[in-house]
Parts: sequence; structure tokens; C-alpha cells
Amino acid sequence: MKNINIICVDDQSEVLDSVIRDLRSLEDFFRIEGTESSEDCLSLIDEIDSRGEQVGLVISDHVMPGTSGVELLKTIFNDSRFSNTKKILLTGQANHADTIKAINEAGIHSYFEKPWNAEELLNTVKSLLTQYILKTGIDHTEYMPVLDQAVLLEYLRKNA
Amino acid sequence: MQKTNWIKIFFIVLLSALTLFIPFDSFGVHINPIEQRVIALFVLAALSWIFEPFPIWSTSVLVIVLMIFTVSDKAPAMLLLDDGGSKFGNLLSYKALMATFADPTIMLFLGGFFLAAAATKFQLDFNLARVLLRPFGKKPHFVLLGLMLVTAIFSMFMSNTATAAMMLAILAPVLAIFDKEDKGRIAFALAIPIGANIGGIGTPIGTPPNAIVVKALAEMHVPISFAKWMFFAVPCMLVMIVIAWFILLKLFPISKKSMELKIENRFLKTPSAFIVYITFATTVILWMLGDVLGLDSNTIAMIPIAVFSITRVISKDDLNKMSWDVLWLVAGGFALGLGIQKTGLASHLLEAIPFASWPSLMVLVGASFIGVFMSTFMSNTASASLLAPIIAALGVSMGAGIDSLGGVQGLLIAVALSCSLAMSLPISTPPNALAYSTGFVRTKDMAKMGVLVGIVGLLIVFAMMSFLGNIGYFSKSKDVLQVSPVVTEENVKEGIKDLAAPTPLIQIIEVEKKEKTLEIRLEVPLDMPADEVLKIPVNADSKSLDSESITEPKIDAEPEKTEAVPEVAPAKPAPAKAPEAAPASPAPAKAPEAAPAKPAPAKAPEVAPAKPAPAN
Repeated sequence: MKNINIICVDDQSEVLDSVIRDLRSLEDFFRIEGTESSEDCLSLIDEIDSRGEQVGLVISDHVMPGTSGVELLKTIFNDSRFSNTKKILLTGQANHADTIKAINEAGIHSYFEKPWNAEELLNTVKSLLTQYILKTGIDHTEYMPVLDQAVLLEYLRKNA
Repeated sequence: MQKTNWIKIFFIVLLSALTLFIPFDSFGVHINPIEQRVIALFVLAALSWIFEPFPIWSTSVLVIVLMIFTVSDKAPAMLLLDDGGSKFGNLLSYKALMATFADPTIMLFLGGFFLAAAATKFQLDFNLARVLLRPFGKKPHFVLLGLMLVTAIFSMFMSNTATAAMMLAILAPVLAIFDKEDKGRIAFALAIPIGANIGGIGTPIGTPPNAIVVKALAEMHVPISFAKWMFFAVPCMLVMIVIAWFILLKLFPISKKSMELKIENRFLKTPSAFIVYITFATTVILWMLGDVLGLDSNTIAMIPIAVFSITRVISKDDLNKMSWDVLWLVAGGFALGLGIQKTGLASHLLEAIPFASWPSLMVLVGASFIGVFMSTFMSNTASASLLAPIIAALGVSMGAGIDSLGGVQGLLIAVALSCSLAMSLPISTPPNALAYSTGFVRTKDMAKMGVLVGIVGLLIVFAMMSFLGNIGYFSKSKDVLQVSPVVTEENVKEGIKDLAAPTPLIQIIEVEKKEKTLEIRLEVPLDMPADEVLKIPVNADSKSLDSESITEPKIDAEPEKTEAVPEVAPAKPAPAKAPEAAPASPAPAKAPEAAPAKPAPAKAPEVAPAKPAPAN
């Protein structure tokens, strides 16, 4: 259990804490990690992968010192080890061009604008992780309490 | 893999290995080394299915592979060091073990999978649900009944899990707007798994435990067709649903006055969609009319597979996404059954335990309760796989004693149905787990309801089996063996035992001494080829046989109104061994298995035309 990791990236530690707090209800099922820069995030996911664990979801801010969030997500998107990893961009400062790049080149699955609605974020995270679990063939029965019902039911209707 | 899993695996392997050293001989049970290995594999399968150190289908694969390497004719020579004689045991055919993956019953299921996959892909499930639910109106308690019935009907042809998922998807938005204090929410959330679980009993393809039993019956030459199954199972299912509906309304009264299910889909009108509608309907109709048309249910299942493949209704991707794990799980169950029956283990164990003297009702009730109990905590399919081979042997050993309860067929079918009646915990079945995860149901509610439905269901099953037994629903045909008088009844009995071991379904019902011959009336399974009946080796002492008097051992035609009686020319007996009544003409390979209601000629080509078998 707890082989699937959720990684939150934000250079402002209070924002980072707040994101992690919003996801606290998932703690029993997923390992939730926070890093304050893109570089830290990349070395963390590298380490997670070498431990044989999975990176289910990365939630990243955009504007950070060093590598930007969109660049980070683009790197992850192009890394075959993380081809199923879900990606959320959570930012208040991305301009039009950044957003286009995030969608076209980093293949993000969801975009949240700061300040965000905690419940909405949690629901999106659940839905994306459910898709991740079903897509990668991990035994979903162990995660039943936190899975997105609608996504699960639609999958089982077709695949059970 | 996690540490706890390794510990589980260690103990499972240890315990099953220890079974290899149990001195059965000292308990008066005489089994040979091969049979002892089968027992160890059975223990291994049972423990792995209970404790699940790996997925249940993997256990099946493991069982098949281990059987091939330890008890088959392709086992490594070092494992078969013994003399290879009869003392060492009967080796299983490795081909038969591998063939479990594509057994006709598996193909029947695959046909069902194709139908279900096509139906969901083209929204047929939602559309049918919309149409079928409409007559139930907006009054919540009728909507509840409608949901249960529709769920059950779908579950007869789709997997229980897929059906429950689909119906819960329809129901969830409605339940979300129910008043939080309304107990009706519980009733609705429970209605879906109950409908899905009970619906599974309706057809042979409704749920995998049915497949285990259908296969076991086919192995014993008493196959049951699709229609013959539905004929008793659907009424059982409907009665259970209606009673469960009453109980639900009683326990969880609905306060809401009106409700509406919103299903937005429309019937697709593309050519592919019409192919799905027509093929679906045709297949189901053929399944129901198979007996009348002389078509085999397993063969009919190949039609949707072919049609959907060539019309691209089912793509390569869809094919790869089918639940092959379920089929492999079932295959493992078949292999276990094969091992227990074909090595002779079943008959050896039964010699040691006097089941035949047990009251038949006790055996039926006991077996069904064990079925419910086991499948409450473990996979229904695994429970059926473990129980069916044992119960089959037991039923056979009870002989005519259990005929009033439907014979061995009734007993095995009751086991399959009881495995579907376990629904008192979220872990009992996947539909239960889904309903529980909606958050509207507490374990306590589910347990209360599940136990009640289980008990009511079992009572209905007992009543049905007793009814079917009394009307002779699973009757056998009667053949007459006419042999020379020096061949005694005992000789023939021995011979029958040898031939039919480990499933002596042939029974002597009457012996009549005539001037020159001894007429022995036999009851044989409907589809047993006549040449097999003829091969009954009559183990008479050769010295006592006067060659004159044994020249005419034959199976004679005894025209009886409704019974299939093959007629064969007398065969020349082998001089050394007593009258081995082999067919006179070149023996064909086993005659094709005929559907029960099919006219008897298919029984064995070389026999003279026989009377049509009873159509019952």
C-alpha cells in the first residue's frame, strides 16, 4: 500500500502546505510529497521511480525560481517512465502563451487558477488518480474509498 | 511484493507440502502417490484462494501449471520414478489440462463476453434499461422493483460487476438528491447488488460458478443445456427478487413520494448498432431454442464471436480488454475437477466415507450452506471450484438415493446457486463492494439484508430441487444389457464400476433371468455414447465361463415408449477376459455429445436406430 505518490510543487511554503492540507483525506492511500522547486521535484520522482513506486500525480505552480512549472511538467510528459502520470498546473501567474504551452507540450490534465476551491481540487485529484489506477492496471479494489465513483463505474461497466 | 504476502505464501506452500506426507493409509483411505499430489494441490488452491497472496486468477494458472508438472503424462521423469504401474496412480493427460483454457464451457462464456462488450460499446445496456424501466413509473417502491428486475435480467447475460456498475451509474445521481434521513437510499443502494447477484443464477453464463457446474455435469455425461438451466433458474431468480424487494421495503421504508431516473441515451441507428441488436437477439433466442433445434449451447456461443469479429463491432483492442482473468480463473477450477475425478481420487475417498447412507436432504442442505458460507468470504468462483468436484463425487456415490432431490445434477446446481447467494458483506461480491463504496450503505445494513436474502434464496433452491427431482426433470435414459446367464449380476456391477469410475452414473435398475440370457436393465446418462456402454468390461472368472454360453452377450433393444435404447449386433467376446461387449463394427471415436433433447441416433453411429430420447 501507499505505492502511489502525489507530488506538489510550489516555491511558497505556505501555498505548498495549503495544497497538501487540501489533499489530506487521501493520505491513507497515497504518499503525498511536497517540493519547493522543479529541480527538487525531478530528483524526487527519479528516486521514487528507482524505489519501484509510482508517480500518480504532479501538481505544480508555474512561476518559480529556476525551471518553471510548465517546463517541469513538459520534462515529465516527455519521460517515458512517467507517461501515465497525471499533471495539474496550479497557478495565478501563467500568461496565455504559458497556458498554451502547458496544454500542447506538457499535456496537462487540469488547470487551476489561484486561489482555488479546495473541494474542486480534491475532486479533480480523485478523478485523475482513479483514471491513473485503472489505466495502469493497479488493483483498484484496494483504493475503493477514495476513487471517483463515476469514473470507476463507467470503467467497470465496460471492462468487468 | 509485500512482506505479509511472502509470509502467506510461505505458510501456504508449507501446509500444502505437508499434505504430501499425511499417512492416509493409516486412516484406512487407500490412495496412491498421484492422488496424494492432487490433494496437496487442492489444499494449495484452497489456501491461496482464501488468503489471496496473489490475485485469484493467478492461483488458477499456478494450479494448472503445477498439475502439468506433477500429475500429468508430461511430468518430468524424475517425479514419476515409481514403476508407473497402477499402484502409482493414473496420470492426467497434459492435453486435457491445457485444454481447460479453451474448454467448450469457456467458449460459451467468451461468447457471453462478446455479447456484453458489444452491448455496452453500443449503449444497448443503457437503452434497454431505459425502455424496461419505463413501465415502473415514478412511484419509488415500483421503481425499486423495476431496478432489481432489470439488474437481474442484465446480469443473466453480462457480468454481475458490469451490471451493478452500470445500474449504480444510473442510480447515483438520483440517490444524491434523496433526503439524508430517508432510509430509502439504503434500499436503493442495496437493490442493485442483490439484483446483480441473484440475476447471475439465471443462465449458465450468468456467473462463473454456473460454468464450473455446467462443465462438471458435462464431464459426467449429464450435460445441461442453456434452456434447461433457464427453465428452472429464471423462476427461482424472479421469486427471490420479489421476496427480496418485500424485505427491502420492510427494512428500509422509502419516504420519498416520487422519483425519476434520468437515462439520456438513445438507440443508435448505425449499421454496426443494428448488427449488435440482431446478433444479440438471435444468439439469445438460439440459446433458448437450442434443444428444439438440436443445437448445442456452446456452439451457439461461437456465433456472436464470429459475427462481431468480422464486422469489427469488436476491435482488437476490445478483444484484448476482455476479462480473460475470469476465464483463466474458471479454467483452474476445471483443472482441479479434472484432477480429482480423473486420477480416481474421488472414488477412493468416497470408498472411505459412507456418504451413500447419509440422508439426501442433509447432503443438499449441508453442501448449499457450505457454498454460501465459503463464498461470503472468498470468490464465488473459487468456492464453486473447490466444492463442485467433491459434491459431484458425493452425489454420484449416493446413487438413486438422491434422485428425489434432482440427483447429482440437482445437488451440483444447488451448489452453484448457493455460491451466488452469498451477499452479506462488502467483500462477498464485487457488486456488494461497489454498492458499499457509494457511501449510502453501512456494513450492518448489508449484513442484515444479505443474511435474509441468503436464507430465503436457499429455501427456494431446496424447494425447486425437490420439485425437479419429483417430476424427474433430470431423468436418464434406460438401456438394456443382455448377457449370458453365466455372467452374473455382480460381474456386470464390477464392470460398470470399472468403466464409469470415478463417476459411476450407470445404474442397474432391473435384472431378469431369461431362458438363455440374463437381461440387465441399465440407466445410463442421456448423452453417453452407446459404444461406451457396450465396453462395460464384465469381469467374470474366465474359467467358469463356457464358451458356448457366452457367445451372445449383447446389448439388446428393449423398445420402451420413451426411452432411448441402442441396439447392437452381438460382439464376439474376448476368450480370456469375459464378454467384453465391444461393438461389432469398427468403433468410432466417441460419438458426438448430443444435446439431451436431441433424437438418440447421435449416440453412436454404429447402432441401429434408436427411439428418440425423452424430450422432457
